[in-house]
Amino acid sequence: MCTDRALIMDIQSGDKKALGMLVDKHKKTAFRIALGLVGNKDDAYDISQEACLRVYRSANTYDNSQPFMPWFYRIISNLSKTWLAKRSRRENKMVDVDDASFLLIDSTNPEDTMVKKETAAYVRNALLKLDYEDREIITLQHFRNMSYDEIADLLDIPKGTVMSRLYYARKKLATIMRSYYEQR
Amino acid sequence: MSKDKREMLAGYVDGELPENERLAFEKELSENEELRAELEEFMTLKEMTGIMSYADLPDEVWENYWQSLYKKMERGFGWILFSIGAIGLLFYGLFQFISELFYNPSVPILVKIAVTVLALGAVILLVSFSRERLFAYKHDRYKEVKK
Repeated sequence: MCTDRALIMDIQSGDKKALGMLVDKHKKTAFRIALGLVGNKDDAYDISQEACLRVYRSANTYDNSQPFMPWFYRIISNLSKTWLAKRSRRENKMVDVDDASFLLIDSTNPEDTMVKKETAAYVRNALLKLDYEDREIITLQHFRNMSYDEIADLLDIPKGTVMSRLYYARKKLATIMRSYYEQR
Repeated sequence: MSKDKREMLAGYVDGELPENERLAFEKELSENEELRAELEEFMTLKEMTGIMSYADLPDEVWENYWQSLYKKMERGFGWILFSIGAIGLLFYGLFQFISELFYNPSVPILVKIAVTVLALGAVILLVSFSRERLFAYKHDRYKEVKK
């Protein structure tokens, strides 16, 4: 199995097969990260593809001494931010809040499905109300199940910052969730 | 709450604290009601999100992912070539047109003047519209408001 760095070096010399292999390896991760950040499947798909194209176009700017994933993550994150800024300007395109295609419930038991569906809808709404940075850290920890060390490496921040960002993001998420429950 | 406690609370919820810090935090928890309330809130949140995962795409979408990406790359390259060619042709045509207009003595002077005035008008309109759009964008107090 080729490492990411080896593949990037091949891409730098114009090898499209290497790009194919790299894309195959990271396409689902790219999609899931983007989905967590923008909350819409179609757009997450487009962002993931655009991120792969950027890898191909910008392969020569990649520093081979650094790990691939944080670089790739920054590309996805920047694209997501740009997309969200565009969305806030037009805002006609709705996110998949209610059709359950953004966050799914892991349940096979029909009895508690209704309650869980309702909870999922609240969480979806609350997540989309968070600032970008808060949603990012929640997405990585809660839905990508990444360890603090992995998040720190990915975002290039100290582990202590991961912990404090998580604390504040959770506080805000809990406050939003509480207000939803109070409105019921 | 101090910074250390905030960080430790997050770490405790996610099981990321080393043994000695975990024990110290549990001791703190037993004495601090506010901290216990926050912990409970965070644990509830963790439980709620624990029953969810992000949606995936159907297998056939993943199977066609590379093909779709390759088409985009191909089309992107096609568009670049097309644009370069079109810009080249446009400039060449413009150059030929201007040369013909001003250096050909058989073109009536009235036509030369009309084309010059037309071009000047188009430039003024373009500058004016662009300036107006730019001004409107810079001074739009509601541009960040979600519609």
